[in-house]
Amino acid sequence: MEFTGTGLVVEPNASLMPWALIWGFSYLGAAILAILYFIGVKNEKIYGWGSVASIALSTIVSFMALGKVLGGQVIYAASSVTWVPWINIGIGVYLDGLGAIMAVIVSFLSLLIAIYSTEYMKGDWGVQRYFFFFTFFVASMLLLVTADNLVLMFIGWEGTGIASYALIGHWYTDEEEYWVGVPGRKAFGTPMYFEPSHSGVRALMFTRIGDVGLLIGMAALYLLTGTFSIPELAADTGWLATLASKGVLTALLLVFTLGALAKSAQFPFQEWLVTAMTGPTPVSALIHAATMVKAGVYFMLRMAPVFLLGASLPLVASQLQTYFVIIAGLGAITAFMMATMALVSNELKLILAYSTASQLGYMFIGVAAAGVLVSQAHEAAALGVVAGLSHLMSHAIFKAALFLIAGWLIHAAHSRFIDYMGEYAKYMKVTAIAMWLAGLSLMAIPPLSGFFSKELTLKAAEEAHLVWVYALGVITAGLTAAYTLRMILRVMHLPPKKEGHGHPHEAPILMLAPYTLLAILALVIGLAWTWVYPELAKGISETLGIALAVDAVKELYQVSIAATGTIITLGWVAVNFIAVAAIYLALRVDFDSILEKNTIARAIHDFLFDRWYINALIYIVIVGGFAGLSMILAGIDHVIDLAYHAAIPAVFALGAAGLRALHRGKTDYYLMLYMYFVSIILLVLYIIWG
Amino acid sequence: MYAKIPVWYISILLPVLVGVLGLILGERKGSLIAKLSAISLIIPTLALGHYWANVNIAEGVVDPIVVDLTKYRLGTFALVLDGLSAPIVLGISLVTAFVAIYGYKYMSVRIEEMHSEGEKAPSIGAYYFLYNVFAVSMLGMALANNLIFFYFFLEVSLISSFLLIAYYGYGDRRKISLLYFIWTHVAGALFIAGVLYYGVKAGSFDILTISSTGIISYIAPASTTIGSAYKIAAAAIIIGLFIKMAVFGVHMWLPYAHAEAPTPVSALLSPNLIGIAGYAFVRFAFPLFPEVIYKIHYYLLGLAIITIIYGGLVALRQTDFKRFLAYSSVSQMGYLLLGIATLSAYGIGGAILHYFTHAIGKAVLFMVAGVFITELHGLRNITKMGGLARAYPLTAAAALLGFMHLVGMPPTIGMWSELLITIGVVKAIPLTTVDNVILVATILILSFGISAAYAFITMRKIFYGQLKEQVPQEVMDGFKYAVVVLAVLGVVFFLIVAPLMSPLQQASELVASLIG
Repeated sequence: MEFTGTGLVVEPNASLMPWALIWGFSYLGAAILAILYFIGVKNEKIYGWGSVASIALSTIVSFMALGKVLGGQVIYAASSVTWVPWINIGIGVYLDGLGAIMAVIVSFLSLLIAIYSTEYMKGDWGVQRYFFFFTFFVASMLLLVTADNLVLMFIGWEGTGIASYALIGHWYTDEEEYWVGVPGRKAFGTPMYFEPSHSGVRALMFTRIGDVGLLIGMAALYLLTGTFSIPELAADTGWLATLASKGVLTALLLVFTLGALAKSAQFPFQEWLVTAMTGPTPVSALIHAATMVKAGVYFMLRMAPVFLLGASLPLVASQLQTYFVIIAGLGAITAFMMATMALVSNELKLILAYSTASQLGYMFIGVAAAGVLVSQAHEAAALGVVAGLSHLMSHAIFKAALFLIAGWLIHAAHSRFIDYMGEYAKYMKVTAIAMWLAGLSLMAIPPLSGFFSKELTLKAAEEAHLVWVYALGVITAGLTAAYTLRMILRVMHLPPKKEGHGHPHEAPILMLAPYTLLAILALVIGLAWTWVYPELAKGISETLGIALAVDAVKELYQVSIAATGTIITLGWVAVNFIAVAAIYLALRVDFDSILEKNTIARAIHDFLFDRWYINALIYIVIVGGFAGLSMILAGIDHVIDLAYHAAIPAVFALGAAGLRALHRGKTDYYLMLYMYFVSIILLVLYIIWG
Repeated sequence: MYAKIPVWYISILLPVLVGVLGLILGERKGSLIAKLSAISLIIPTLALGHYWANVNIAEGVVDPIVVDLTKYRLGTFALVLDGLSAPIVLGISLVTAFVAIYGYKYMSVRIEEMHSEGEKAPSIGAYYFLYNVFAVSMLGMALANNLIFFYFFLEVSLISSFLLIAYYGYGDRRKISLLYFIWTHVAGALFIAGVLYYGVKAGSFDILTISSTGIISYIAPASTTIGSAYKIAAAAIIIGLFIKMAVFGVHMWLPYAHAEAPTPVSALLSPNLIGIAGYAFVRFAFPLFPEVIYKIHYYLLGLAIITIIYGGLVALRQTDFKRFLAYSSVSQMGYLLLGIATLSAYGIGGAILHYFTHAIGKAVLFMVAGVFITELHGLRNITKMGGLARAYPLTAAAALLGFMHLVGMPPTIGMWSELLITIGVVKAIPLTTVDNVILVATILILSFGISAAYAFITMRKIFYGQLKEQVPQEVMDGFKYAVVVLAVLGVVFFLIVAPLMSPLQQASELVASLIG
């Protein structure tokens, strides 16, 4: 079966209104908040509820769009006037299944988290700035997922970046309570603790580097095709063949994808996401777990079908395959690496951040597997794309819940370290249940949604015969169960290691309700999976109208507990689960004393705790390298300065002194010089005319 | 087409008249003179708005006063607005108008400070005279159609800015103003030598000729009009412009001049004046010396990258806020050169648009530096700053927007110039081999990455962390509103960039086609 372009909508078929209001309302909200601040309004309730109101309006339009799209209609709305002439950029909204599902996920989660934030940020000194950037972020993220052209998408993309930067550094006064990492800890001399303002710069730099790659890719595609429009790029994929015929398809697509890898914190860009945890916890939940970090996955989901359309040519297919194998490999490395770090971390938000990067790895594995599968069995490629989107959705829900819970727990403990937390299940029963539900979903225990979606990504890797990727994925599934269980046990059920100043009690309703609702959703979606996944598959299959032959392969991506792969994975998860339970509940192993005595154990622990020393390596080699180069160049600059402004004047000064020596103020001497030069001039004149 | 009224001469002469009024009033009514200056300097922006709405700027809007000097073998002197000069004129008009408002408080404090140190300083009225002359001389450069006419305005700009530094500057201002004067005159002398060499042989100094109906067109290349001698003229003119533009190697005068000039003047010198050399390169060198430019364009590409990286990395080592900004300007000039060196319409248009981006972004940042100099007792040492965002939130917001301009992030106009330049580079180094893909990715990631690094690292050093000493809370006044509003205008022009783009496209494609 071939991929066909049936149903691809390349001509606008709807008006911009109301669909542009999906992001329009939120941008409007952000602009109003900025103007209010400018004219001196400071009342925090206006900012909080203004933000909630504008996001709520965006959410309503998003749901309207989803309703329409699931009814079988692709919404493609474009402005009649060109926004930016010359490069022909218009304002356009493209809402197919993927876009509409993403818009709903983003706006709905944003709404819940905005409500949570009104309580969480109460009384904060920067609350106005917080809600401005929060709203601006939501608008940008919605623009990103609904844009009909790459430039508009890029604007949303960068908008989320600057909002993320500002919110990570929200507490830019850098008091120690807002840091991430253990104060004073170093790895190879590189500090492993980060102030909010430092983390903000890191996030911006890591993602910016990737974004330049995205920009280059956009420029290249534009020069090849004369358009930035995504539907038009999909309608005629001749450019893939052009690139493939020159042998640059793999390289160029990798550059094009750098932005996605950086945004989604895939190896080697994972470091920024870890330290982004200096931001207020609702921000971590929304931006650094549920939405912005998914932008890279969204980009892959959006572009992969376009790439696949061109894969009917063998030349294109082989280069695409190389590309997708590399992406799958990066996803697998990230998934595994980050999971190992989560095993030893002692900061609640850090554990969740490692876990986020790790789970994003699964999503990349899923999408990349689709690309690899295309050359083996066209039908099967649908599996990978559906897997990627499924896991994106289920992860957005359970991870947002976990972060929002973490926000409350950190508040209750007055500490970000889990050493000061313990036995919280006694004080907050509802929160404990919510944490278990969301946690079990993360552990991929049936029948929670995380089980189905993760199983799909693994199945895609298995079908694609990506042996190492699959193996790492399965191993990571076990590790995920281990670190999640450790986290829940230590926070909720075991006594705290250290005495803190916490006052644990149940959360206020405005915080409790959003995360409880999300945790329940994780369960409900899992229970209803048989009904949910056909809708998802239908949605994704209509991405850009590129039929991914979903109906023909329904049985392929039906998750069955009886499948061999699933049994292996579940068994391994169970082993990890039981091991951790045994270690903490039955054996009561004292890790601190083991680490004190056993040097090998300590070395392994430090390797994981200091994040495989990758941060130290980046700082020593890259940051240090550029700092050194900067110092050397400043030295060279000083030399240039001296050469121009000391050496040249000195030469002139010497010359001037020499000339001055000729001027002695004696008449007979001047007379002699005068005669001398007159005779030379006469001689010259004689030679010329004589 | 010809304009109905001599709009460009009015734009140039009115601010000078206001300046003369200031000179007469001296210390009196300084605030009024500041406002009148701003109003007279904003005229070109209003005129642009009018023409955008009514005519096709790409065809040229020519001032009806055209001085015919062909009998002196000088050609014609005319003031012309087209798609290429429009972003330049807009950048000059907006920045000079806002800095005129801003300069009143700044210079009042500065003059008082000089008096208290026992130094003599000319009155605030004299300042506005020099300031306005400086401002309109740049307008003249942007609008001139003729090399001698251009040089006339160049000379006026050099003398007025030299006097502003010499009278009101910081540090060893006599020495630094002299250094500035000599360097810029070495550049100017090279430029005029090349111009004279060309023009005397060609019998005219026109670059844009104007038909009787006011249609503009470029003259033929020098190689066809003056034969092989064009190479000497080309060398002198191009090197002269490079010194003015402060590309790597001949940038050394810039950090002194731009750091020690009074800050409102820095805000004009740094983005507006030096960038004009980039504009002049496209406007004059492209039509005159297409063969030379084609021959050296890969070297120019290399020089551009070196300038971007060098300027950016050296900026990171600076401890003086204004000197930091000066090195950043060197780096930003690299972007102009990068766009130009691609020889493609996208790159050229991107470079011209980046002039506008940089004008707003860098002016805002210099104005921010000036806010602290004025209100925090001359504070300009970055190592003594930190945490200032808490005390100066709106100023911090303006600075963030300023930095976003330099980095090319939406929602600032910088995004469009960055995108155009990137398209230009990809066009110049086609991605047809894996080597080229790696090359383009490397140079652009390095360039954009270093720009982002120095911008956001410095943002952190100045505004984040704990306050090093107690500072008063920001009280908004016209002085600081000028900064914030100018920064916001960068966002406004991000949204309404269309009027600039179509004329710029036509003008850039025309210039690019000259190279062939």
